[in-house]
Amino acid sequence: MMETLSIIFITTVKTLIYFGILMLHVAYATYAERKIIAHIQLRLGPMVVGYHGILQPIADVVKLIFKEDIVPSNVDRRIFIIAPLISLTAALSTFAVIPVSDSWVISDIHVGILYVLGIAGIGIYGIIFAGWSSNSKYAFLGGLRSAAQMISYEVALAMSLVGVILMAESFNLTEIVKKQAEYPLGMFLFPQIIGYFVFIVAMLAETNRLPFDLPEAETELVAGYFVEYSGIRFALFYLAEYLAMFCMSSLATICFWGGWTIPPFLIKALPILEAIPGIVWFLLKVYFHMFLFFWLRGTLPRYRYDQLMAIGWKVLIPLALLNIIVTSIFKYYS
Amino acid sequence: MTDLMRLKEIINKIFLVEIFKGLSLTLKMLFSKSVTIQYPFEKRKVYEGFRGRHALVKDPFTEADKCIGCMRCTTVCPSRCIYIKREKRENKMIVIDYIIDASRCIYCAYCVEACPVCALVLTEEYEYSSYKREELIFNKEKLLKNWDEFIKKWKQDYYFNKFWQPPGIDPSRWPKTKREQKPISIREFIENRKENKDESDN
Repeated sequence: MMETLSIIFITTVKTLIYFGILMLHVAYATYAERKIIAHIQLRLGPMVVGYHGILQPIADVVKLIFKEDIVPSNVDRRIFIIAPLISLTAALSTFAVIPVSDSWVISDIHVGILYVLGIAGIGIYGIIFAGWSSNSKYAFLGGLRSAAQMISYEVALAMSLVGVILMAESFNLTEIVKKQAEYPLGMFLFPQIIGYFVFIVAMLAETNRLPFDLPEAETELVAGYFVEYSGIRFALFYLAEYLAMFCMSSLATICFWGGWTIPPFLIKALPILEAIPGIVWFLLKVYFHMFLFFWLRGTLPRYRYDQLMAIGWKVLIPLALLNIIVTSIFKYYS
Repeated sequence: MTDLMRLKEIINKIFLVEIFKGLSLTLKMLFSKSVTIQYPFEKRKVYEGFRGRHALVKDPFTEADKCIGCMRCTTVCPSRCIYIKREKRENKMIVIDYIIDASRCIYCAYCVEACPVCALVLTEEYEYSSYKREELIFNKEKLLKNWDEFIKKWKQDYYFNKFWQPPGIDPSRWPKTKREQKPISIREFIENRKENKDESDN
């Protein structure tokens, strides 16, 4: 009895800490995005609130909380209210299995990768519900596009991870990281370079980010599935989007970049590096992937819808299949 | 040759050469200096010939405007925003009021060019927006005040506006006062006025 209680207590505390840190990260990811995009376009970005606009995300959150929560009269009220919560819950739940360092994971389950992919898939329901219940053509089209895009890229995303699973011989995310340390280069990035490429492209499409942000293409759809939302509900969708980005970055870090470990040859060259706690490496790798999101956003224009589907089905899925075949052959003969 | 080009094209496509080129460009831009001017905190340099708020030039010694009420500015004004009230007294034209509706003005500076005595100028002031339309209709008093405010910020000792001279017309055909236009001394005048004030205070 006492044991169960203590487990519940520890999990709750861990979850709360994780939640707080995540919220802070999401808030400052919006700030970082605005700053990076601004500097790519030779602008300055937010500069007024605090030193170089450092308090801008807090001001934004306060503003969104105090804004009027408008529910249009023709929407399907119940589903309209539930939809952002579904998106947010799905996005938050994925972090339950993501290991931050050697001993720091809320729930160390054996099917970690499958859990992340499955829960991330549930997030699509929030988007479809939001689009459909809004009773607006923009929201509806955005929701449909988003659903089609996420379903077709989910296939490529999952397939790109099969190579990693084959090499690690485990679905457990902690196991995958530990297995990478046994390889000479310390990460699956080099043997799984095709898988990594497919993963990165599918990751962009899966989180509805540029260059695949068709669900919220401003020029055609105003804002896509959340046109009718305002105030804090609108913010919840944003939160879910950035959480999904962090989730995908963490997944890329764990599956391809060796999570909290660093390559053994680096440790051999500079033994001091071992003294730095693993979470620092993990966060640095996640930040790099977040930067990649913003960097690509600042560089690439949006694809057309048929191009998007063509890339998904005609390029990424065959590439992922090829990767699986090659990995299986190597695995079989070694 | 064409085969080689096609091969090159295919390689470019497979290794995403163009996307990487774009990424390297944006990365370079990320670390170069941004061009933003943070307006209310820092202001742009105002260039010569800037056409801003209107002012009637004050004579440095008599402290009165130079306008002779010839109506040339009202005639030339394309947007018809200058109104002059004048009266003939003892064979002399007296300007009672001089009104410019700045909300209708298009800042072409034709009035400045047309004025035979260089009485009117478009200053380099540009922050004079207002919540009320009435505040943008400048009368004579306000226009003279605008001049005072302008020379307070003027750093040089003299003010000479070369845009007073109508371009494309031979100088021999300009009015005599325009041809012999001299720079208006400003510092001297302000100091003069200060001394006068001190004397009158004493």
